[in-house]
Amino acid sequence: MNDRLLETCRDGCAMATQMGATAAEVFAQDSEETSASIEKHDLQLARSSRELSYGVRTLVGDRLGFASTNNVRDLGDVCRDALALAKAAPGDPHNRFPEPAAHVAVEGLFDEEVHAFTARQVVDRALEMLRVAGAIDRRIVVGDGAFSAVRMTRAVANTLGVAASEASTFFAHHILVTAREGDRVSSMDFQAGATHWARDIDIVPAVDLACRNALDSLGCSAGESFQGIVILSPSAVLDVLVAPLLFQVNARNVLRGLSRWSDRLGTPIASRGLSITDDGTIASGVASSSFDREGVPHASLSLVAHGRLQSFLHNAYSSSAFGIPNTRHAAGSAASLPMIGPTNLAITPGDATLDELIADTKCGILVGRFSGNVDPVSGDFSGVAKAAQLLRSGRRAGPVTGTLIAGNVFAALEAILDVSRETQQIYGFRLAHVRVDGISITST
Amino acid sequence: MEKLLEDVVRVAGGWIEARYQERRSLLLSSRNGHFEQCSSGRARGIGVRALSGGALGFSSTTDLSEKGLRQALASAQMLAAATREGKSHPVKLAPARPVRGTFPVDTVDRLDAHPLEEKIALVSRLDEQVRRASPKIVSSSVIYAETIDERIVATSEGTVVRVLDSKPSLRVLAVAGSAGEQFVGLQTVGVTGGWAELHARRHPDELVVEAVRIAIAQLAAPHTAGGLATVVLDPDLVGTLCHEAIGHTVEADIVLGGAVTADKIGHRVASELVTLCDSGLPLRGGHAVGLLPVDDEGVEAGRTVLVERGILRSYLHNRESAAHYGVTPTGNARAYQYSDEPIIRMTNTYIEPGETPVADLFEGIDDGYYLRGFAMSGQADSNAEFMFGVREAFRIKRGRVGSMVRGVTISGNAFDVLLSVDAVGDDFSWENGAGICGKGQPAKVDAGGPHIRCRLTLGGRQL
Repeated sequence: MNDRLLETCRDGCAMATQMGATAAEVFAQDSEETSASIEKHDLQLARSSRELSYGVRTLVGDRLGFASTNNVRDLGDVCRDALALAKAAPGDPHNRFPEPAAHVAVEGLFDEEVHAFTARQVVDRALEMLRVAGAIDRRIVVGDGAFSAVRMTRAVANTLGVAASEASTFFAHHILVTAREGDRVSSMDFQAGATHWARDIDIVPAVDLACRNALDSLGCSAGESFQGIVILSPSAVLDVLVAPLLFQVNARNVLRGLSRWSDRLGTPIASRGLSITDDGTIASGVASSSFDREGVPHASLSLVAHGRLQSFLHNAYSSSAFGIPNTRHAAGSAASLPMIGPTNLAITPGDATLDELIADTKCGILVGRFSGNVDPVSGDFSGVAKAAQLLRSGRRAGPVTGTLIAGNVFAALEAILDVSRETQQIYGFRLAHVRVDGISITST
Repeated sequence: MEKLLEDVVRVAGGWIEARYQERRSLLLSSRNGHFEQCSSGRARGIGVRALSGGALGFSSTTDLSEKGLRQALASAQMLAAATREGKSHPVKLAPARPVRGTFPVDTVDRLDAHPLEEKIALVSRLDEQVRRASPKIVSSSVIYAETIDERIVATSEGTVVRVLDSKPSLRVLAVAGSAGEQFVGLQTVGVTGGWAELHARRHPDELVVEAVRIAIAQLAAPHTAGGLATVVLDPDLVGTLCHEAIGHTVEADIVLGGAVTADKIGHRVASELVTLCDSGLPLRGGHAVGLLPVDDEGVEAGRTVLVERGILRSYLHNRESAAHYGVTPTGNARAYQYSDEPIIRMTNTYIEPGETPVADLFEGIDDGYYLRGFAMSGQADSNAEFMFGVREAFRIKRGRVGSMVRGVTISGNAFDVLLSVDAVGDDFSWENGAGICGKGQPAKVDAGGPHIRCRLTLGGRQL
């Protein structure tokens, strides 16, 4: 299948150049998924889908057009569409495709077991999520959830000689729960997990954490208002700190004038306790693959080291615009132009445990989930602290509700006090708890 | 294709729903004078849902032949069988009158009548206008997007409908910078219709002027301390509240999943000034983005009164939830693509206008805020707790709208907010048509209403 898909990509490139393209690239994705969903605390539906999609980029000089289809019979038409779009588009000297580079296959991405994984087994995994949630507490209601088994093949070829293909498997699950007690309804909580290997499927941690967070928020009392310390859970770290940080280090955003770190490479942008790496080559890594959306092999990258900004994330376009080597972070599907995105992004763990971070906090809150608004340009954030615990004299003083946290991401990065030793995997992110000072906490 | 679908589902055995969908899309974007994206997409396929023994199965395919359709149908039936034993409550479907016919797009100016070059020129011109508007503008972005759909829905009960759809949208972003700080001004517009209807809803030049004004105004605006306040919400925020914070909690699948609205039918959930509806019909000026003449289960659209003078009257239903509650389906079963199964979604969600002139809403507010526009960020919970970013916030002092403050969010329980409504404006507009609602799969929806006066919590800072 890999070879056949790659051959189609090459055929598409040939068609586009015969039609008049100066250069062409075809990215193809063949995805087959079986899943079972949960709704209303009951098994809802089993489903299957098979989708082949093709994305064609054509260059006419320095003008770029892109078109996609989900039907191989339309590949010729789509090459024509991409060519017409390129001819109509204004030019840009940095519109270019990458040169071929040597590949080293990343291990652990494909599990042959996927072929033997039946619809019945998929349904059984979804039922297991319901059973585990029900056993934790009768007040739990699973509003939404799913288990899916996916087999995917990606292939990419361009007229400069890039040619790569790879198959992978995914077994993923998610769950969204609330807890009800009489008229009281908790905040909802969402947790998820994913692995490439059937033997590594473990739905229990996600289900357990979601149920515990929902139950904890049932008996909340009002919090307090002050400016002080917040301990962000890995989920909250992702929303409050990592997402805007990724916006700022995205080289396209630097080129767009949207990053305030455009001249900050090598300088401190966070406290010394923060180090962040990205590595798409980790064996069996959830976000690993042998090559990026443009067919360039992934590599390991230090983004932030001891608080200093080390690199931006680049694809072929931005690396050309900056005149520096590509960091190989082209991302996206066949249905859209290559963007820039992380692979396996990790915060380097600290020395202290979460309990020790709490013990060091005289007055603060522990935020389980952040529900709110983060402006990645200004850095201003404001939102509700969900699954939140008041911290007093180094102890958890009980769950709180109606508590808003607000501040500025750039100030918060510089005000990081500690990073926990424990980490949690959230899809492709491995994140720790982070203790931050100077956050505005408002009880409503 | 209509005949193929009808012929196959009629003799398949058991309840079957088959949907063919063909979508063409176009996306053009320019940023800082560089044309970033000139792309198009084609996608077509068939999705089949089968009900067998009280369980549902769904399968999709891009093989449009009779053989491909029959294979997808067999797969859906097999998946229904695999699900049957694990179901606690067998699925039943409420009856629905079979519908036949073709439903065209209401437009006087089809999108495909306008050449690509004209659309590129519009995007480039607007991008340049943003950049030239002020030396304080440090970044600009303009995105034009359109989707043109053809859907055919056929059911084993005799429904065969062909629905044509066309949805263009425009988004203009300005970023103002000063002293190391940057602020965004964002303006959007989206409609169901064609080129003329998009321009009629809001002229593109107006989007530029507003985006630039909002971005620059924030440079000098201070933060506010936040807290509980009397506010006037504009139709954009009213629409956001209706859709995000109320609408999702009355989707019957969410209700059955533990939402706060369970067992609240017939109870007061809002001020008696509030009547809140969802409608796929072309009401109040038409061309709202959520227009849906027939849903993806083949049920004709209607106007559903969710909250009538403050009393919760209905949930939003598909045929499955309608059977559970013993009511009529409301025409809210929607699938984004052929490869998605229909689920309960909103269409156009809004509060009916009241009788208070908008200018009078500010009278009597000694110390409050006038809040305008959803900042395209925020979340809402099935317990009706919400948190939204606000695009523009102005102080109200002694009944007059004054200076801008920045970084404002609003939060609270949406039903508490609706209970606090003490005046509803006599205006109305659709405002949320450029966004996309996410619920496992995307959906194009709209929302709006009049200005309203109420009390809610502003997120600010401990100053």
